Amino acid sequence: MERSLRKSDRISSLIWLIVGISFCAGSIPLKLWDFQKPGPGFMPFLSGALLGLFGLILFFSSTAAESAKGEKARGKGILIKKSKRRLVLSFSILFGYILLFEPLGFFFSTLLFFFFLFKLTDPKRWLTPFFSSGLAVIVSYLIFSVWLKVSLPSGILKF
Amino acid sequence: MPGILENLFLGCQVAFTVANLLYCFIGILIGTMIGVLPGIGPVGAISMLLPVTFGMEPVSAIIMLAGIYYGSQYGGSTTSILVNIPGEATTVVTCIDGYEMARQGRAGPALGIAAFGSFIAGTVGIMILMILAKPLSDVAIKFGPPEFFSLMILALTIVSYLARGSMIKAIIMAILGIVLSQIGMDIITGKFRFTFGMMDLLDGLGLVPVVMGLFGIAEVMANLEESGDLEIFKEEIKGILPDVKDWKDSIGAIFRGTLLGFFLGILPGAGIVSTFISYTLEKRISKHPERFGKGTIEGIAGPESANNSASSGAFVPLFALGIPSNAIMALLLGSLMIHGLQPGPLLIKENPGLFWGTVVSMYVGNVMLLVLNLPLIGLWVRVLKIPYRILFPFILFFCTLGSYSINNSVFDVLTMFAFGIIGYIFRKFQYEPAPLIMAFILGPILENSLRQSLIMSGGNFSVFIMRPISFTCLGIALFLLALPIFLRKRSRIFSRLE
Repeated sequence: MERSLRKSDRISSLIWLIVGISFCAGSIPLKLWDFQKPGPGFMPFLSGALLGLFGLILFFSSTAAESAKGEKARGKGILIKKSKRRLVLSFSILFGYILLFEPLGFFFSTLLFFFFLFKLTDPKRWLTPFFSSGLAVIVSYLIFSVWLKVSLPSGILKF
Repeated sequence: MPGILENLFLGCQVAFTVANLLYCFIGILIGTMIGVLPGIGPVGAISMLLPVTFGMEPVSAIIMLAGIYYGSQYGGSTTSILVNIPGEATTVVTCIDGYEMARQGRAGPALGIAAFGSFIAGTVGIMILMILAKPLSDVAIKFGPPEFFSLMILALTIVSYLARGSMIKAIIMAILGIVLSQIGMDIITGKFRFTFGMMDLLDGLGLVPVVMGLFGIAEVMANLEESGDLEIFKEEIKGILPDVKDWKDSIGAIFRGTLLGFFLGILPGAGIVSTFISYTLEKRISKHPERFGKGTIEGIAGPESANNSASSGAFVPLFALGIPSNAIMALLLGSLMIHGLQPGPLLIKENPGLFWGTVVSMYVGNVMLLVLNLPLIGLWVRVLKIPYRILFPFILFFCTLGSYSINNSVFDVLTMFAFGIIGYIFRKFQYEPAPLIMAFILGPILENSLRQSLIMSGGNFSVFIMRPISFTCLGIALFLLALPIFLRKRSRIFSRLE
């Protein structure tokens, strides 16, 4: 576990280094210094450089810590496989909901969102998820649209 | 003193309106509920409700959001005592003796002393806040941009130093927060930075989508991986009022926890630490330290008082200096800015109604919490039984709607989704998101102070070390950064000697 964490530290440190360098590179055309005063690129350059620097420090500290220990134990990996299916499906449903939110409108997209999520947690039944999602969408419509006056998309179905 | 009384009267006029009393009540009710429910923290809840407050008066918004914060500190102890799972990070210590007391059939007095201790600490904490904040802001008015820049650097360094995991990772998170805050229009020249021609990025990344993603969505992702139901204390809870012996054992711990918590709450990121220090202190000075961990009431009274008092202390740097001491205060700062208020030392002077109204509402909120929570413990136990499979669709829905409703933009919702995945990966790689949020909110103020200081000095960086306050802040920050290296070297030398 510790070994794999150190490996992940090295991976993430390289990501920080790349992000830091990219930020520094992107800030140079913005003008770093403008006659005795910092330009709009100064702070992004400074923070990008610091991000890269600390990325390097993390890289060397994780490498040094591992070589000092000299451990050969095999880690199980950071991403432990538990209930990954539920996680992936739930987030696919959320992503679909975000994409359909404006085209389908609040009412129908939210109805489908709740229905699929309730169905995911209770796969054997059809009626319970159907009625629960219907109730959830009506109550949330009343709270957000009618009471709190939140502007919600009506979509192509105009509802 | 007459000044304080006058201001308190002004605060009463603001806090005792029907609308503000209602917002205070809603805030503490939501706060207690999210404190009770493990898996939803006050940061996530406040970010979810932030868009709802846009249409409110600024003072009403702060009253409600503050209520969520201190309400969650009350509620967190219920789960710690009855389920042995801390509702909040600040109530981890309460599990040790609280759950033991529940197992011994003394859940009632444990919950009771947690509530009374929280009430006393909350009330005393507000009194000290009232006395301290105004003089501190009077001193802070004399601060110039270099002092503010150095103070913010110090605040971010302390948050990184006190982070639970690696300090290097916490510093990286803080720098990343600053980096992300620079996307969008430059406040001084009006130039666009890192927008890649995208209209949605012209105003930068939205605070609410970023926070909801990192805290709300990432939290749900992490919880969905975990399976298994909570084991809830099933016996009927009797005798919530602590007896004379309980009071005798606890009263000292309550007052020590209150003072300790308040002053640690002022320091950035130290609120959580206060509960651990309070527990250690009580164990150290106790005549019977062997009872700690076996269900002693002082083990609950001290830390519970400390965490509630720390939540009052956290308001001092927010109101007096405009510098948040934790992620929740950073959100409140963001909320003040969204409402067009300029946080800083002039905030109390220019908006006395906001400060004193919030202070008085905190008194009222504390009384409401005590009166409501003790009889409602049965209800909170039932809330605890709501299965997560029913809760998480609603959390995802609130996050989506909250992100969308700010600008009616799907881009904001996609930002939330992306930051949810990033936050989940951060958890896996053991990166704490709190320093990122603090730095993300402080980023524009930090950049402004830095650039103003350099404009003032004609581009001379010595301005930061020539001014005593700025020099002291930077010196302390440097010392904290160097301390872990020194400590590591020292431990290596000692281990070699051994």
